[in-house]
Amino acid sequence: MIEVEHLSKLYGSTSAIADVTFSVEPGEILGFLGPNGAGKTTTMRILSGYLPATSGTAKVAGFEVHEDSMAVRQRIGYLPESPPLYPDMTVEGYLNFVAQIKGVNAGDRPQRIQSALTRCNLLEKRKTIIRKLSKGFRQRVGIAQAIVHDPPVIILDEPTVGLDPRQIIEVRNLIKNLAGDHTVILSTHILPEVSMTCSRVAIINHGQVVATNTPESLMTQLMGSSGYELEVEGEFAAIQQCLQAVSGVKTIEPMLTDLLPQNRLKIKVVSESETELGSELATALVSHHLKLYEMRRVQASLETVFLQLTTEETPVENVDEVEPSDAAIEGGTPNENADL
Amino acid sequence: MKMLTYNFLAIYRRELQSYFASPLAYAIATIYWILAGILFKAAFDGVIDQGNYVDLQAQSGVPIPPIDVPYELLRTYLGVMGSLSLFVLPILSMGLYADERKRGTLELLATSPITNWAVAIGKLLGVLTFFITMSLPLLLYEAIALNGVNPPVQLSVILLGHLGLILLAASVLSLGMFVSSLTDSTILAAILTFALVLCLWIVSELAKNFGGVVGDALFNLSLLKHYTNLVQGVVDTSSLVLFASYIFLGIFLTAQSIDALRFQRS
Repeated sequence: MIEVEHLSKLYGSTSAIADVTFSVEPGEILGFLGPNGAGKTTTMRILSGYLPATSGTAKVAGFEVHEDSMAVRQRIGYLPESPPLYPDMTVEGYLNFVAQIKGVNAGDRPQRIQSALTRCNLLEKRKTIIRKLSKGFRQRVGIAQAIVHDPPVIILDEPTVGLDPRQIIEVRNLIKNLAGDHTVILSTHILPEVSMTCSRVAIINHGQVVATNTPESLMTQLMGSSGYELEVEGEFAAIQQCLQAVSGVKTIEPMLTDLLPQNRLKIKVVSESETELGSELATALVSHHLKLYEMRRVQASLETVFLQLTTEETPVENVDEVEPSDAAIEGGTPNENADL
Repeated sequence: MKMLTYNFLAIYRRELQSYFASPLAYAIATIYWILAGILFKAAFDGVIDQGNYVDLQAQSGVPIPPIDVPYELLRTYLGVMGSLSLFVLPILSMGLYADERKRGTLELLATSPITNWAVAIGKLLGVLTFFITMSLPLLLYEAIALNGVNPPVQLSVILLGHLGLILLAASVLSLGMFVSSLTDSTILAAILTFALVLCLWIVSELAKNFGGVVGDALFNLSLLKHYTNLVQGVVDTSSLVLFASYIFLGIFLTAQSIDALRFQRS
C-alpha cells in the first residue's frame, strides 16, 4: 500500500532523511519510531505530498506522491504534527468542511461525520467551537479529520501527543480498530505505543531506517540475552571479578543511582543467551561473602532495543543511565521542529 | 470537475463564515461605516456649497457653467470611498493565507485533493463577498440623498460607479491575498499590501515625471486613474482589462507562491 524507496530529503546541505526504504502492506499498522529530529515528520510530509523529496520515490496505493499528487491526496488522511484546526469553527462544521474539500459526496457526509465523531469520542463536543476545546480534544478532532473521508491510507504524525493517559488508551484502541480496513502509518517517539498498537515497526535515526520488523521479533532478535539487576554490598572490582567467573555472563556494569545506602552498588548483568543465571549469580556472590540484597530479572523491552539502535556510544551503558518506561516520554516534543 | 466545484465552494463558505465569526471583521465594518458616513456628509456639504456658489455667481451675472449636483455628489463620494477602501481592504486580506500558515491549516489544504487555484479563487470570492456585504448599508446614504433629485441620476452611472468600486476592491484584495501568502505575519501582510496598493494608486502622479513610453505605461497601471474613469461613468475597456489583470495576477501569484512554498520549507 505504501512503498518508499531510497527516499532522501536535503534541506540546503543538511540531510533530513537519507536513503529511507520501507513498505507497508494493506491493512497493516506501521509504527515509525525515532527520537526527535530523526526525520519522522519529514518522511510523513513527503508521504502526504506536502513536501517534495530530493531523491527517491514514495508510492501510496500505487501512485507516486509527487507526480500523481492529486490521486494520492484523494486516498490519504493526514494528521500533521500540530492538528490543522480552524479555531472559529464548531467541531461538526470543521469536519463538514474537511469532508467537502476531501471530496466526500453531500449525501454521504452526515453519516461519515457521525462515524468520525463516534470513533473519536467527540459526540458531546460536536457543537463546541474548536477554540474552546482542550488540547486532548483538539488532538482528537485532528484524528477525526484524518479519518472523516474514510481514506484507505492514514498517516498520523504523533497522534497521542498532548493526551492524558486515558485518552491515549482510547486513541490507541481507535488506531488499532482502523487496521484491516485502513493502512496506517504512525510516527511516535513513545515506545510502548508502538508495541501496543503497531503490527510492524520501523526505527529511524539520523534520517536512516535502522531496523524494520514486528515489535516481538525486534525484541527477540536484538535482545536475545536477558539481564539481571543486582544490589550488592562491596567494591565493584571485587564483585566484577566474582561474577565474571560465572559462565554465560556477557557484561557487568554498575548502574548509576543515588538512592542506595553506603557501600552498596546496583549492578547490571547481561547474560549471553536465554539461560537462567539467577541461581549461579547468587551462589557466586554468596560464596565470595558478598552480601546480596536484591536480584531482579530485567525484561527486554522495545525501549532497550530502541536505545541500542539509536545510541552511538556503547549501547548498554546508556540503557542504564535512563530510567526505563519514562525516558522516551520525557523527550517531549519541543525540538521536533529541528527537522522541519 | 464536480468535485472541484464542491471544494471551491467549501473554501468560499469557510472563508465567508470566518469573517462573520470574527470580532475583528465587525470592528473594521463599524469603523468603515462611521468613516464612510463622515465622508458622505463632507461630500454632500461640499457639493451643496459648490452648487450655492454657482447659483450666486450666476445671479451676479458672472458666466460659470452650471454643475450637476447629484452627479457631482456621487463622483466625489465614490472617489473618497476608493481612498478609504485602500486602508480597509489590506486589513481584510491580511489573514487570507498568513493565518492559514500560522495555524498550520495550510498543511491540510496542501494535502487535500484541491488545487491551489481553487483555494485562491474561493478565498478571494469569500473576502470580496464580505466587503460587498459590508458596503451594502452604505447604499442607504446614496438612496436617501439621490431619491428626490430631478431629473433622476441615470441608473447606469450609479451602477458603473459601484462596479468600479467592486473591481477596485477585488484587485486590491487579490494582490493583498498574494502578499498574505508570502508571510505568516498578518500585520506585515497588511502593511506590505497597503504600501503596494498605495504605489499602484498614485503611480499615475509619479508617471507625470517620467514622460515617454515609461510614463505612459506607468500612467496606465494606476488604479486611481482607471477607478476615476469608471466612477465618472466612462466605460473604457482598458480600465476593465486592467482590473481583470490585477485580479488574475493576484490569484496566479498566490497559487505560484503556495506551490513554491513546498520547495523552500525548511
